[in-house]
Amino acid sequence: MIRVPAITRRLATAFLTALAAVWMVPVAMMLAVALTPPEKRVSGFGGLLVDDVSLRNFGIVFADAPILHHLFNSLVITLTSVVLVVLFGAMAAYAFARMRIPGKNLWFFLLITTLMLPVPTLIVPLFQINKSLGLLDTYLGLILPYTALGLPFAIIILRGFFEALPLELEEAARLDGVSQPRIFWFIALPLSWPALTVVVIFQFMTSFNEFVLALVTMDSDALKPLSLVPLVYSGQFFTQPGAMFAILTLITVPVVVVYFAMQKFMISGLTTGAVKG
Amino acid sequence: MRFPAHTGTQGLTFLLPALVLFAIFVLYPAFYIFYAGLFEWDGINQGVFVGLGNFHQIFTDDGPFWIAMRNALYWAPLTIVIQMVLGFLIAFLLEIRTRMVPVFRALFYLPAIVSPVVIGIVWQRIYNPFGGLLSDIGIATGLRFLTFSFLANTQTAIFAVIVVNIWQWMGFSMLMYIAGMKGISREVLEAARLDGITTRQTAVHVVWPMLRHVHLTLVLLGVIGTLQTFPLIYIMTKGGPNHATEMLPNYIFQQGFILQNMGYASALSVVLLVLSLGLSVFQVKVLGARFSFGGPA
Repeated sequence: MIRVPAITRRLATAFLTALAAVWMVPVAMMLAVALTPPEKRVSGFGGLLVDDVSLRNFGIVFADAPILHHLFNSLVITLTSVVLVVLFGAMAAYAFARMRIPGKNLWFFLLITTLMLPVPTLIVPLFQINKSLGLLDTYLGLILPYTALGLPFAIIILRGFFEALPLELEEAARLDGVSQPRIFWFIALPLSWPALTVVVIFQFMTSFNEFVLALVTMDSDALKPLSLVPLVYSGQFFTQPGAMFAILTLITVPVVVVYFAMQKFMISGLTTGAVKG
Repeated sequence: MRFPAHTGTQGLTFLLPALVLFAIFVLYPAFYIFYAGLFEWDGINQGVFVGLGNFHQIFTDDGPFWIAMRNALYWAPLTIVIQMVLGFLIAFLLEIRTRMVPVFRALFYLPAIVSPVVIGIVWQRIYNPFGGLLSDIGIATGLRFLTFSFLANTQTAIFAVIVVNIWQWMGFSMLMYIAGMKGISREVLEAARLDGITTRQTAVHVVWPMLRHVHLTLVLLGVIGTLQTFPLIYIMTKGGPNHATEMLPNYIFQQGFILQNMGYASALSVVLLVLSLGLSVFQVKVLGARFSFGGPA
């Protein structure tokens, strides 16, 4: 905290409050339009001002669109890739931090390079690979690329954390005859939860919101994750902005819930998991 | 730590699952585009080898490609600078406060976790000249220019989308600065206070220069982010009107998956890949940028 005169603090508060209010206008508008009763014309200011609130748009959405089914698709794809990224990422990161690997520096260089790679450069080949492997229009067609693309960030964050763990701890276990894999599973991995939290949040957010790969991979509506849902129903709800914005609200709820449930770990995790690139 | 001889293979075993996935879904695709870019190919039938023909066309005879390049030159500096200045300002003001900090932090960061698809549709409504928020404000206040159709005009459309991107990602810059400021020692700030310099001077002359590693990280991530931009463009304008908001990822998608020019799209992907790796490596090697999060790296 920086100590300042009381007047400065009050000015700071006023400025932050005003800016935050402006910043939240689009979010407020989304909720306002979603809560406007469907039979009413959306009111003034883009629908920001509501005089009458109803949840009926959400009823319409749940009745006419299998939104929970799309949520299920998103959760299957996202959670599976989170588990795989944590598992494979932690194993690889531990190997980088503590084990001897042939070609270690080359592999690590390639991983770092991937962080600089825009995903859209890979959509043509990933589409073709998924086609040859028979993964188009399947959950795995998204789970595997999401995992592969999430691994570099996970490995770099976790490697930094494993390297910072005191060697004495593992040395002591080794002298007691504990094998390296067991040291990883029962000592290093449990200790690394702050870094794992960062990886989980990051992987969850990116996979849940991912758009371009989902767009080219998923053809049947029944398999589409939530991020594609606005496109699926934009025609059906073209004349019902309330229902459309109810869908947008429903898509947003899961990420917001997950983020706020875990955000207190985020800053501490980011600080402790400082990476050396 | 000393290792028994067998740990070389054990290390590889630990690495293997990650490496296999990485090789199939990242490395192989990255090399694949260099090969596929040499063909005129619809993605279904046998391709026709055209050598560097696709690249020749991209650089000499492809209007939308150059519009995409120009837009990236607008996009990167505008988003990066404005997000950094606002993010730093907010992070610094949050250091001054004592209460409500988590609330402000959460509100400003909220847009960054919302799907860009959702954000694109909501902002389309804000920009809608017929009953959208901006136009309604314009009518109510007499600021008639707000009723303008920003997204439909070739001069303004790209800037209208850039505003949305700044709005979405500013909170990320703020979060990085907050984490960075936690790494500044209290003694430094206390010494600055005892030297009697003003709060503004503390921000500009003490805190800002000490966060050089955060600035560099944000520029690095901002450039990569610019070159990744897809959903906002796809949802809000599809690259239009008349390619005015074209960005490379959208152009790759349009060429590959709408026009079925998979070979040409691969060549465009090569250009994007070389561009982003080149710019990133330059920043890392020459400027010393790092993918660092939080404390001084």
